[in-house]
This record gives sequence, C-alpha cells and structure tokens, in this order.
Amino acid sequence: MKSYALFLGCLIPMKLPQIELASRSALAKLGVKVEDIEGFSCCPEPWNFKGTDVEAWLKVAGRNLAVAEKKKMDVITLCNGCSASLIEASHLLGDGGEAAAEAAKALSGAGYKYEGKTKAVHAVTVLDRELGRDKVEKSCSRKLDGLKVAVHYGCHLLRPSDVMALDDPFEPTFLDGLVDATGAESVDYAGKMGCCGSAALDKEISLGIARDKVKAMEDAGAQCLVVTCPACFDQFDLGQVEMGRRGGEKHALPVLHYFQLLAIAQGEDPEKLAFSRHKIKVDPLLKAVVR
Amino acid sequence: MSKVNLDFCKELPQVEETGTVIACFQCSACVADCPAAAHSARFNPRDIMLKVLLGLEEGLISEDSVVWDCATCYTCMERCPQGVRPIEVITAVKNVLARKGLLPAEVAAAAENIRNTDRVIVHSEAIDRHRREMGLPAYGIAGKCIKEVVK
Repeated sequence: MKSYALFLGCLIPMKLPQIELASRSALAKLGVKVEDIEGFSCCPEPWNFKGTDVEAWLKVAGRNLAVAEKKKMDVITLCNGCSASLIEASHLLGDGGEAAAEAAKALSGAGYKYEGKTKAVHAVTVLDRELGRDKVEKSCSRKLDGLKVAVHYGCHLLRPSDVMALDDPFEPTFLDGLVDATGAESVDYAGKMGCCGSAALDKEISLGIARDKVKAMEDAGAQCLVVTCPACFDQFDLGQVEMGRRGGEKHALPVLHYFQLLAIAQGEDPEKLAFSRHKIKVDPLLKAVVR
Repeated sequence: MSKVNLDFCKELPQVEETGTVIACFQCSACVADCPAAAHSARFNPRDIMLKVLLGLEEGLISEDSVVWDCATCYTCMERCPQGVRPIEVITAVKNVLARKGLLPAEVAAAAENIRNTDRVIVHSEAIDRHRREMGLPAYGIAGKCIKEVVK
C-alpha cells in the first residue's frame, strides 16, 4: 500500500495528542503507512479563518496541498475540519474560477504549484474505501461485544455532500459499519446527523446544541460517543464539564475519537493510550470492555 | 427606517457560489433543521438570505452580527431545493465584516494567531514536553508558512 503524508493539523498534536497516539498505533496495525513531512501549516480551519478571508483560506489550503504534491503523496487527516478545508480547496482550485487563478498566482509567487494530483482524505475513509471493513474487523483481537456506541459523524466529514462525495449527508452508514467492525454496536438516536455546535460563537447556543445531542445519546443507552474530529471531541468532552459548571444538568458520557475505540479493540494497553487526559473519565467504559 | 445598500450582493466574495442567493424563494427549508436557529432567538438563515438580497444591513453588518451564531453545519445548503448555499453566503458576510473592521475580538484574535504562528493553538513548552513524554515526534512550528502566500 502507498504511503500517505500525515496531516495532523493543530488541535490533535497540540491539545489532544492522545488521539494522535491511538491513530498512529491503529493505522500501523492496519498496514496504512503514514509519513511525517515538513512544511504543513493549519489547514486552515474553515470557520474563523475562512470567515475572516475566504481568499486567504484558499491560498493557505492550496499551499498545504502543494507541499504534499511536491512529494507526490496524498494527504491523510484525522480531523473533519482539516479534511473539509483541504478537499474543498482542492475542488475550488480546479474549477477554473477567478479565486483559483488568484490563489495559483500567490502560490507561484512563493515557489509552489498545485496541479490537483494530490488528494486529501480523512483516515476513516481510507479504512472504509481502501481497506474494507473485513480487514478492520480482522485487526481486532479484543472484541468490544455489546458496547453501545453513539456515532457522531460531525458535519464537515460529509458536507457539503456534492464536494465531499463520501456518503449520504443525512443517512450515512460507513462510520457505523466501522464501529460495528470492532464488535461494538452503533445505536440509533434522535438528531444523529446534527452538529456538535462547536463553531457557534455564543456559548449558550454552542453548548445548547451539544447538550441536546448528548441527552439523545444517553436516552438511546449509549455507553460512549465516537467522533472523527478534534473540534467535536473538545466540544463534547470539555463541553460536558462546562454544561455542568453553568448549572445545567450533569452529563458524563465518555468521548472517543474513532481511532481510540479501534486501538482498544486491537488489544492496545489502555494505560499506554493516555486516557487520563480526557475530561470525562473513560474508566467505566474500559472496565466494561477490557477484561 | 432601515438602511438599504443596493450593492450589498456585489460586495460579497464570490469564491463559493454566493451568487446563488438570487434563487432563494424564502421557503424556510434551511430553517427547519438549523441547529443554531433552534437555540438562538435571533438566528434564522432564511431571514439572513432575505436581508442579503434586499441589502438590509441592520443586524447583519454590525459588531454583534447575527452571523456568528451560525454553527457552519451545512444543513441549510443540503436542504435547499433551489441550490442556494446559505452557509457560504453567511461566510461571505463574515468576510465583509472583516473588511469593515467589525469582527468580534475573539474571531480577530484567532485568525491573527493562525496568520502569525501557522497554528490554531498557541505553542508552549508544555506541549512539547507532553509529546515527548508520550513518545510522539516533535511537532515543529515554523510560523512562516502562511505568510509565504498571504501577505
């Protein structure tokens, strides 16, 4: 299998390195080769930076794609925001529009060129499309049988669906399939395709959106929630603490990135996965599955 | 009386098909599943599209603009039967706010940090130490990448 340029972004390596640790371990066990290459910046993130200057956002994303293209590599990400920025920018840079021409000029002025050969992809997509669920299932030595998981796709993994072209934007199944491959069970819950609320600036609105989701997951009997994005992760993990601090009802649903769930299922020692960094304790979950 | 800016649509950056707003027929499909509309008393994507079309800047072009309530979930754009991309129109309005110096302080600071350091998170020695303790490779901060292409 080919080797991917690992695009870690900002939140995972700098704030949530436990996700990076689990992802590197899980991908290696699946034979997905990743390389750390020099020269990537922030993707850049698609709400505040893009909200400030969409033309600058396109240039910076184009530069990141060009850095990987120079190495003749595709880019693999662990974050919905990174994959959305890079995939969308790749699409826009190839549309022949005015913004694409402006971006190409800025890139060329700094000695970069992006011809559209390098593609960006979220790592969970590689598992589903390149490896297949069977291989994921076979890599699991510790079956998480009976563990009830609430899958949170997050918005930017699938939408805008005409550009991301991954699965149905409202009734997707691929991530549920990858969760089921670990032996766990993806449970249905109300508002499943809703947002985590992270990008709304007003905390009451932002946490209100997250609270609705966590409540629906708990009502469905979920023992943990699984995300594929560090912004969603923070919004639910830190967010549940903030909800309590603001005097609302208490919630304590453990939050895992998909590759943390997979690393546990692959038999990795939980002690080595730095779950102590989580705000919402993962211990009850580990007690239920690690025997 | 509300101020009308007849050229408002022309001021929006066109990178992401914001011109499609002209096809909006005010059906509210974008409102029904909007998570921000469910939690904010003032946020309504249909209303924002109307204000953009008519050039009604009140509540839109101000320091406490309603657009920052948007969660950028893309549900509006997926639900629109007319092919309008309200999320991209909202992003374009945010860009206009930036040009006019009307960004909320936290957004301006976040964007500025990315431009200056190439990262969302402010780098610290503690981050390097945690990574070392976890056996992860050093994560270099150049701080020059973005400035190469964005002046």
